[in-house]
Amino acid sequence: MKNLLKKELSLCLHPSTPLMLALSALALVPNYPLSLIYFYLTLGLFFICLSGRENQDVVYTMTLPIARRDLVGARFLLTLLLELVQMLLCFGFIQLHRILGSTPNAAGMDANLALLGEGFLFFGLYHLVFFPSYYRDVNKVGVSFVKGAVFAAVFVTADIVGCYAVPFMRDVLDTPDPQHRGAKLVFLAVSVLVYAAGTLLALRISQRRFERLDIR
Amino acid sequence: MKTVLEVRDLEKIYPAFRLDRVSFSLEEGKITGFIGRNGAGKTTTLHSLLGFLSPNGGEIRFWGEDFRGHEQEIKQRIGFVSAGMSFYNRKKLKTITAVTKRFYGTWDEAAYRRYFELFSLDEEKTPEKLSNGMKIKYLLALALSHGADLLILDEPTSGLDPVSREELLEIFLDLRDEGKTILFSTHITSDLDKTADNILYIAGGKIRAESSIEAFVRAYRLAEYEEADPALDALLIGPRRSKNGKTALVRAEDAGKLPFASRETNLEEIMVHLEKEATEA
Repeated sequence: MKNLLKKELSLCLHPSTPLMLALSALALVPNYPLSLIYFYLTLGLFFICLSGRENQDVVYTMTLPIARRDLVGARFLLTLLLELVQMLLCFGFIQLHRILGSTPNAAGMDANLALLGEGFLFFGLYHLVFFPSYYRDVNKVGVSFVKGAVFAAVFVTADIVGCYAVPFMRDVLDTPDPQHRGAKLVFLAVSVLVYAAGTLLALRISQRRFERLDIR
Repeated sequence: MKTVLEVRDLEKIYPAFRLDRVSFSLEEGKITGFIGRNGAGKTTTLHSLLGFLSPNGGEIRFWGEDFRGHEQEIKQRIGFVSAGMSFYNRKKLKTITAVTKRFYGTWDEAAYRRYFELFSLDEEKTPEKLSNGMKIKYLLALALSHGADLLILDEPTSGLDPVSREELLEIFLDLRDEGKTILFSTHITSDLDKTADNILYIAGGKIRAESSIEAFVRAYRLAEYEEADPALDALLIGPRRSKNGKTALVRAEDAGKLPFASRETNLEEIMVHLEKEATEA
């Protein structure tokens, strides 16, 4: 798996990926729908899969002495790595936002600990939408991306609407740190669990589908 | 002679095509030409061997081991090269090589350098800067540097100029002399005339012949005639119009039964007439 991850980093990483990670700095922008930050990274993932198709990445990898399921596992590992880098960057920018003097966000969640929880929740669910579809047919990556984009649109909308209409979100989560820190940490922990469970389930389904896929 | 690959009753079913109980075997240290017209099932067969496709049935054994369950060990000993392969077009060859060699415990850096020099490859180039012939040579260099004992080549000479083709064919002969086994799919029969020891002929998803190239060619003769008595139709295989009348294949043992002369034939003429016969059947 170490060699496959090295392959992912050396041959598959799209040049736009660092830019997508850098967009974590949007956490500093006032009145911006901050949950969109996570969608940008999925755009980076789409570019990786799209350029993989153009560069015959799956065919190349299938010629290597590896098990089919590990090909899927390596792509998951790369995704997890990028997502964790993004979460670390987001955490840094959220802290910076607080130091610079945070103002309430009128477009969804504030830049706070709950925003990190939203990130894990978003990615965990996104994996379930995107990857099983992608590994059903790796050549139809656009279809999988559209499904993921629809999910992202629903998620971001729910975030913005929820911060106005859902009392727990409005009064507890969508508040400046360190208010309601305990509740936000619980939300973050639950989100991490959803992230882990969603990712594991998405991995299992994707591996099963890819085992049956004809590579052409 | 050791058997490197044994395929039994391989089936792959698509809505419009069926690979129909394909069976054959490869002997160690031989070049086997896999011929058939476009769409006959050559690539489907090769991709099934390598696990790209999930067969509907059949058994594939490399060096006596079932491919399923031993995929990783078997792929350590196989090199696959296809004319259509072009990976990571904007990455330098040295980057692709650096990644590839990590997967092979048997990687021989000295051999890699030797093949790079022999094939006049430049590590600083990217695949998009290479001609089709050079791409094939690069893939061959990778396969040979990890000590592949079996090379599976899918139409490697397709689209190459005559000089590059001849160069590659010579390389295949050198590799055979080193004891490598080669399965070489093509529809350019003259390439096989020059290199192959054995022939595997596929048409309509079925293996129609498996033999040494000499026995395959000797089994037929080519009859050239203007008109033939309808009573001879059963003997004449795939009659076609030619500049001076008609030509048809005839089995060597039936040649004496014809009222006109026949001559020795070659792979291309055999394939063309057999395909005509199959089309009209």
